[in-house]
Amino acid sequence: MKTNDIFDFRRFGKYFASDLKTCAANFGLSLLVTALLLPLTIYCITIGFNALMSGLWDGPDMWLRATCFCIAMICIVVQMPVKCYGRITEKQYGSFWLTLPASRLEKFVSMFLMTCIIVPVIGVGSFIGLDAIICALDPTCGGSLVTGVSELFSNMLASGEVTLNLANESIPIEDVETINEFMIQITSPWLYIDEIFGITLPFLMGAVFFRSGKTVKTFIALFAFSTAVSIISTPFMTQLAVDMMNGVKNGDPMIIFDNGIFMNLVLIDTISDAIVNIALMIGIWFRIKTLKH
Amino acid sequence: MITIKDLGFSYGEKAVLKNITMTLEEGRIYGLLGENGVGKTTLLTLLCGLKAVKSGSIDTDGHNPYDREPSFLADQYYLSDEVAAMNMTALEYAKNYGKFWDGFDMDKFVEIMGVFENDPAQKMNKMSFGQLKKTYISFALACNTKYLFMDEPTNGLDIPSKAQFRKAVTKYTREDSVILISTHQVRDLENIIDPIIILDRQDVLLNASVEEISEKLYFDYSTEKLTDALYCEMIPGGNIQVALNTEGKDSKVNIEALFNTVHQHKELIKGIFNK
Repeated sequence: MKTNDIFDFRRFGKYFASDLKTCAANFGLSLLVTALLLPLTIYCITIGFNALMSGLWDGPDMWLRATCFCIAMICIVVQMPVKCYGRITEKQYGSFWLTLPASRLEKFVSMFLMTCIIVPVIGVGSFIGLDAIICALDPTCGGSLVTGVSELFSNMLASGEVTLNLANESIPIEDVETINEFMIQITSPWLYIDEIFGITLPFLMGAVFFRSGKTVKTFIALFAFSTAVSIISTPFMTQLAVDMMNGVKNGDPMIIFDNGIFMNLVLIDTISDAIVNIALMIGIWFRIKTLKH
Repeated sequence: MITIKDLGFSYGEKAVLKNITMTLEEGRIYGLLGENGVGKTTLLTLLCGLKAVKSGSIDTDGHNPYDREPSFLADQYYLSDEVAAMNMTALEYAKNYGKFWDGFDMDKFVEIMGVFENDPAQKMNKMSFGQLKKTYISFALACNTKYLFMDEPTNGLDIPSKAQFRKAVTKYTREDSVILISTHQVRDLENIIDPIIILDRQDVLLNASVEEISEKLYFDYSTEKLTDALYCEMIPGGNIQVALNTEGKDSKVNIEALFNTVHQHKELIKGIFNK
């Protein structure tokens, strides 16, 4: 096979543009309705409800808006792969898609970029952007989601330090350093950014893998997988808890993990997420490679 | 040229195609005929790379279709019997996807849509099945590919559209193209397909040009009954009878009668045409 037949940037550009257009036609409206109409609806309902019940002009608080944001993102992540790529398992569209003159790798990369980067960025950007505009116009909302999240992280860091200062005398100094580093690590944005792949990829895999009932079957598969992981890990976790309690009885400190885990939380999380994401990507790649009609 | 050698394919345990060997040459419009379930669609999908062969090989100008190399895909188009109703207008569809085929001609697309009296500005998901089929046929012909595979293209077309289809296929295809059309409705394509391939369960019963068929078989349309007829069917005003052409007489091939004759005398016909 010639290199040009594996990946060609010019052809990829054409394919990506066409994929973007097809995706916009199939999912664009749903994306905008979910990302723009939901915050607006919640704002109007809350204002109306508060005005009726207490006679006050009071917008939705941070927690309600954060909950709506999560719901909207879940709706987008769950729906998008099915609407944009679910049809490739149908004979009508799938046979055309498979014989479209672009390489498998180009189709795969475009699919990945659309699902894991372009659509989530548009979804998050639209929601947060509108939320910021609403909050700028109406200060009763109490600040935009972006400022709220950064405040939350700062508070987490501060509360960690306060707790440690209060308990400083009873915790060995090396554990204090570990907990401090742990708090810094869990407030690192990168710890959460790569999670987006872990959330979107299973639904993309479900969309291209199952021929019907794609969303329901993906949820069932995820549930089954989580159950299996729980069953396997429960004995280890139980043993760990028992050891920890025995340690406490014997006057040992609570922290019994290797300090290295806490100190390198972001790295370890990134590696473990990367393993899962790469496994999912390989699964999607092989599905595309072996798809037949 | 497409070379098929000892091709075998099965769905699980059920063999569909077995030891199929033939070549498809340039500049021909092949008609692929056969009863339901004999593997016409399967053969088409194998040729365009939608399925992998189980045994044997397919060679299309040095390409294995299942590799689905873009350089190979850009020179072929497969029109499925079931077509997708996209959420865009026919014109947008042609603009969005036509660029992947080097030979795609937008003017030609619009012209063929005009021949079919189809509106390119209409949304595809608002079209009737027949209109949708005509849009895809227009697109397939506008791609100007060397290899064109069509599965039941006249299904869902009204009577005028079938005539327009025949006209479009003869007018808008390349001189060197290999066109393979699978159909049940032989009358729709009677005047354009040549050679004719008749598939039977796991086998090719006939693969011959119309000229070769008329050299070897005689089609009689008179009222008199032939004593040596292989097949006879009454029609208004006479009969269609098929007999061996031992005297070298000229006759017009009737594909439906040919199909029935081949099915009634499988071994005899295979023997005659494989000589």
